[in-house]
Amino acid sequence: MSGFEAIAEARKQGRAALDEGAGKQLLASFGVVVPKSLVVQDASEVRAAFGRLNPPLVLKVLSPDILHKSEARAVWLGITSGEELATACEEVLASVRAYKKDARIEGFLVEEMAAAGQEIVVGGVRDPQFGPLVMVGLGGIFVEVLADVSFRICPITRQDAEEMLDELKGAALLRGARGRKPVSREAIVDVLLKVGGEGGVLMAHAQDIAEADINPLIVSEHGAVAVDARFVLTQAMD
Amino acid sequence: MSDSVIEAFRPLFEPKTVAVVGASTKGAALPNVFIRRIREFGYTGAIYPIHPSAGEIDGLKAYRNLGETPEPVDYAYIAIAAAQVPPLLREARGRVRFAQVISSGFGEVDEGRELQDELVAAARAGGARLIGPNCLGIYTPRGRVTFTEIGPEETGPVGIVSQSGGLGTDIIRRGLSRGLVFSGLITVGNCADVGPNELLEYFGADPQTRVIGMYIETARDGRRLFEILRATRAAKPVVILKGGRTSQGRAAAISHTGSLAGDDRAWVALSKQTGCVLVETLDEFIDTLLIFQTLTPQPRHPTRRVALFGNGGGASVLATDYYARLGLDVTPFGKEAVDALVALKLPPGTSITNPVDCPVGTLQQDDGRVAEKILEIIYGIGKPDALVMHLNLSAFAGRTKPEVLDNLVQAALRVQARYPGQAHFVLVLRSDGEPALEERKRAFRASAVALGIPVYDEMADAGRALAALQTHERFKSSRRL
Repeated sequence: MSGFEAIAEARKQGRAALDEGAGKQLLASFGVVVPKSLVVQDASEVRAAFGRLNPPLVLKVLSPDILHKSEARAVWLGITSGEELATACEEVLASVRAYKKDARIEGFLVEEMAAAGQEIVVGGVRDPQFGPLVMVGLGGIFVEVLADVSFRICPITRQDAEEMLDELKGAALLRGARGRKPVSREAIVDVLLKVGGEGGVLMAHAQDIAEADINPLIVSEHGAVAVDARFVLTQAMD
Repeated sequence: MSDSVIEAFRPLFEPKTVAVVGASTKGAALPNVFIRRIREFGYTGAIYPIHPSAGEIDGLKAYRNLGETPEPVDYAYIAIAAAQVPPLLREARGRVRFAQVISSGFGEVDEGRELQDELVAAARAGGARLIGPNCLGIYTPRGRVTFTEIGPEETGPVGIVSQSGGLGTDIIRRGLSRGLVFSGLITVGNCADVGPNELLEYFGADPQTRVIGMYIETARDGRRLFEILRATRAAKPVVILKGGRTSQGRAAAISHTGSLAGDDRAWVALSKQTGCVLVETLDEFIDTLLIFQTLTPQPRHPTRRVALFGNGGGASVLATDYYARLGLDVTPFGKEAVDALVALKLPPGTSITNPVDCPVGTLQQDDGRVAEKILEIIYGIGKPDALVMHLNLSAFAGRTKPEVLDNLVQAALRVQARYPGQAHFVLVLRSDGEPALEERKRAFRASAVALGIPVYDEMADAGRALAALQTHERFKSSRRL
């Protein structure tokens, strides 16, 4: 399914946002690496799914009514057996029900867990005057508490992307401060260009995407994986 | 492209025929004042007052409507009740090139939105490009047209677009007193048709304009602004004074990114991506335009190291701290420069490391020749990217001959000439507000700016202007422009 089809489908169903699976498909169609994944309907299907992916795995609920999955405890990490996967499925379902009784549940996303690395946030927003903007920041408190982020107007050039990273107060962490391994700067720049560059996601779908969060993008020495993705659609008359 | 935009806007900036709508037979209305001002300003083309009944206004033959003038109208100045403007423009029958509508009561108020749409449609039907409504006019020395009572006839290098009429007047008046010379200033009000973007393209192409200033409240087409600025690759410095940068705060953001994206983020991004300079106050706007008017940017060695030279120890210590926060280094000279300065055997009380702080006595010694020796060492050995010479006029008052200031500046210019393109030279004239001193400063400022030296009231002002220059230079340097 192309990005346009995924967006059209979401609109047809009256959704305000793409679900995580569709969001990742959209990213993958632009060449951003996303975890290998499957969608299952319930616990009865998960054992078969287990054999088709490389553990450890992650299980997440797919629901248009749950915007913040970790808040709803709708994510289970580090699954290493089929049995554990089935348990995770039941537990997550129970948590979601406890969090929001009438949440619509459209299945579960089972995916390979990304290797550890630096968490980055890449985002996008449609500015009423300037059109799409792209953002980058370091994950966790850097974004949420310190607002240590940098924005650019799309489409960005490679140099813009490099300068965005240089501008972050936490930039030293990417170079391997405090005994950590340096992460692949090139991989982050590459994702920024695929999202915010010429012909990237935000430019190609400028009319449809109101807001975007890739949070986190996990970056290691070798590459970057988009572990969660949310695309909020523009209002019909926006 | 650049020639065609110049040609398209020539009737606005150099009108050969001007129609004035709203002048009264009693000669007291704003349009009457406009007629008087452009005549005083040396406008020699045809002036056609438009009036429904009068035969003559201010000694000029009046016409019933815009379609009946002997020659087509290059520029129409329109100040009548808002509701009367659309019918007036419909009658232009393609014979008006630019209509500047001073009248308010259009899109700036809720009840005027429809009328503004009607105005745009009428201008289009009549074949005129519309400036405004809700603005004050144009000041274009090359066309000898002005809406203000002052303004030199000389065409300078500073082109301005202002979305506010009143601020436009402030920019002219305060700018002139600081030494700015304009290639043109246009107030565009509600920008119902022609907006800042097209005028940015005009000033960008205009050979007389070397620096562009914009006061923007709402960028109706921010994307186009971004595209123009990006395409022109900082060929001319662009200084933007943005109103309403902090107001927004996106109400209903769902994502992290959305909640972090205030209105200001896009403007900061615009500056980073295009090299335009953002400023926050009217004074900073004028100070920044002045540095670009007078100095030639040096992208090959962006301004970083600054030498301070003058009288005022505490003031230069404070400036050193402030400059550091602006990203400018006032670091002590190396041993070679210090040794050379020591060898001058300057009187006690002179500090020689950088800042170089001299009592008035040292500065006026030998008619400024000692100062020249100090500057020679600073330029030749210290090699800063910029030299800020600061003179506290209060300390000179009553103790020195009037020509001391001249001698000092001449000494600096001689040294400057021996090291072409090496360091920006900036003058700060400090005083305590005493009227006689202010008068002296005013006169001296004018002659210094005429020599191409930017003059500031305080070292902090000079520092902010140098930091703006640095922003432009660094952008060009980073893009190898």
